[in-house]
Amino acid sequence: MSPLAQIWTIAKLEIGRAFFSRRALWVYLLALFPAVIFIGHGLDAKIKRDRWTGRSIASPVAIDSLSPGMSPEQVIEKVGNPQDNRTWQGRHRVESKDNDKVIIEKTEMRSMFYFDGTRRNDLRFENGKLNRISKNQFVSFEEDRKVYAAVFQYFYLRLAIFFGCLGIFINLFRGEMLDKSLHFWFLAPVRRDVLLLGKYCAGLIAASVIFGSGALISFCAMVGFQDPTQIQSYSQGEAAIHLGWYVLSAVLGCVGYGSVFLAAGLLLRNPIIPAVVVLLWESINGFLPDLLQKLSVLHYLQSICPIPAPVDDNVPPVLRMILSPAAPSSAWVAILGLLAFTALVLFAATHAIRRLEINYGTE
Amino acid sequence: MNSDVILFENVSKFYGEVLGVNKVNLHIPSGITSLVGPNGSGKTTLMNLMTGLVHPGSGKITVRGISPFAPEKLMRIMGYATQYDAAPRGVTGYDFVLAGLLLYGYAPGEAEKRAWKAIETVSLTQSAERKVAAYSKGMRQRIRLAQAIAHEPQVLILDEPLNGLDPLVRAETIAMFRNYASEGRHVILSSHVLQEVDVFSDQVILIANGMILAEGEIKNVREEIHEHPSQFLLHCQEPSRVAAMLFEGGQVTEVKLDPQGRGVLVLTRQRDAFAEAIERIALSGIEIDGVIPTDENVDALYEYLIGGGR
Repeated sequence: MSPLAQIWTIAKLEIGRAFFSRRALWVYLLALFPAVIFIGHGLDAKIKRDRWTGRSIASPVAIDSLSPGMSPEQVIEKVGNPQDNRTWQGRHRVESKDNDKVIIEKTEMRSMFYFDGTRRNDLRFENGKLNRISKNQFVSFEEDRKVYAAVFQYFYLRLAIFFGCLGIFINLFRGEMLDKSLHFWFLAPVRRDVLLLGKYCAGLIAASVIFGSGALISFCAMVGFQDPTQIQSYSQGEAAIHLGWYVLSAVLGCVGYGSVFLAAGLLLRNPIIPAVVVLLWESINGFLPDLLQKLSVLHYLQSICPIPAPVDDNVPPVLRMILSPAAPSSAWVAILGLLAFTALVLFAATHAIRRLEINYGTE
Repeated sequence: MNSDVILFENVSKFYGEVLGVNKVNLHIPSGITSLVGPNGSGKTTLMNLMTGLVHPGSGKITVRGISPFAPEKLMRIMGYATQYDAAPRGVTGYDFVLAGLLLYGYAPGEAEKRAWKAIETVSLTQSAERKVAAYSKGMRQRIRLAQAIAHEPQVLILDEPLNGLDPLVRAETIAMFRNYASEGRHVILSSHVLQEVDVFSDQVILIANGMILAEGEIKNVREEIHEHPSQFLLHCQEPSRVAAMLFEGGQVTEVKLDPQGRGVLVLTRQRDAFAEAIERIALSGIEIDGVIPTDENVDALYEYLIGGGR
């Protein structure tokens, strides 16, 4: 039996447990969390849109032609009846200049709400005159794409895939030691490095399917609730490319973090230690010299994300440095760099597994 | 390189500061070999060293010419039933045995055939589709044994294999060991049931505190310990007279009448001289019906060795 055939046999035997490890079912929650957020956001938008669309839709041209100073009647004449129309009396204290008395001034307030199919338009009148028009894109595709990029890079790559791989890969060996069943594998006529690669493949397939699917579902959820014309335009343009890069970076995240945590499971008993050390390393990566930045999974992953994650202007410089990749590599350099990094870690892990002894008594 | 024995050459193993085994030299031929010793004496460590589950701190081990550092070669000729449940969580007995065989590279059809055969050998066919986690202690013992023998190894290593087995299965299992041994294979096992080991082992290795106390056939091991007096039961007529004659000759350490009235119980350090004395007594006209060694079993030997002699 060739080593490749053995790797595949081991992967097939292990894959069920990699998918449904009792210790790592929470991984599914992490993977599906962004999808739940975007599905929730999309459903909320759809319900509102359906409700508003069912009443009356104002003409966007008519809305854009409104100008301050118009009376409510003029607005209704031009745009039609609003979806919501409220009046109230505003009161505020005014000090009289003549006798220093405080008088209460009353203002007739009125608000109207129009929906033009894509925008929510709020009109505010004071004493019968239009004085403010607030137009908000009901579902902003550009905004949602940026939010998706931020969720993907700040949550999905940094936390979900990171901890997901921790749960899946560290159990491949450490879990077996806790169950006292690792010797089943060590007593098979298989080289230890072949065993390691077989288990790694099982973990990688499971993690890639879980997190690749998570990325796919959340991306579809983000796009699926947009305006149909925008969906069509995006689908004919960059959608497939963006989706491909997102799924690829999720899979590559599993490749990189998987190797790190597989090796950590062989070397350390407590999974908290490698998790904290790697998380710290990834966090301070932006402060490190160029060469050391290359020893980071996140560095490569961020480099291949199709849309840069937005960083708020108010974010402090230190945090900004942590959040954004210092000097992104090109896509191919990032992919090859990540694969080289993974190969290096797995090579070190093969040395560790050759020395590994079964000594459950001290576990 | 000797390719049909298991060799330990000056092997030591420490777990941190705790001694596993110390300077062990062993030459184990094929046949049934029993490792006997109290808990923590190093029996499992010896087995784990042979199978490569732990590595020696110093010294060298070869199993039929193969190093334990080459599992891809060693495990093709070896089966090891450990004292731990080797079955990964959630698998059935059949899947457990089958998975092992698939790793050996058997085609699925052949692996299934062998798995059922091994399961049948340990009389677990009815329960094969149940999860190992739901097995009783004895059933787990048997499924581990099935997994160890499924590929018909040349070297079978079994850690406490008879624990939890009912008498019928125990007898069948021992018969299987004998059958394996008769085919020139190694069967190495550990057991606390010393009488059983005594009965079916070809050789015994006595171990305590990580050191080998004795190694070889039980009878030979016994003979190597010259300081330890041998005990015999002399079936004879006129036991009192025989006892007096033996004392007069000075070849015995202790003589007493058997409480059950079978003859004389004799303790001697000079076996040859004792044999000559028996001959003289017989020639003098006293009928000797038989001379039976009463402590040539592992229990007596072990008690003597561990206890530091009487």
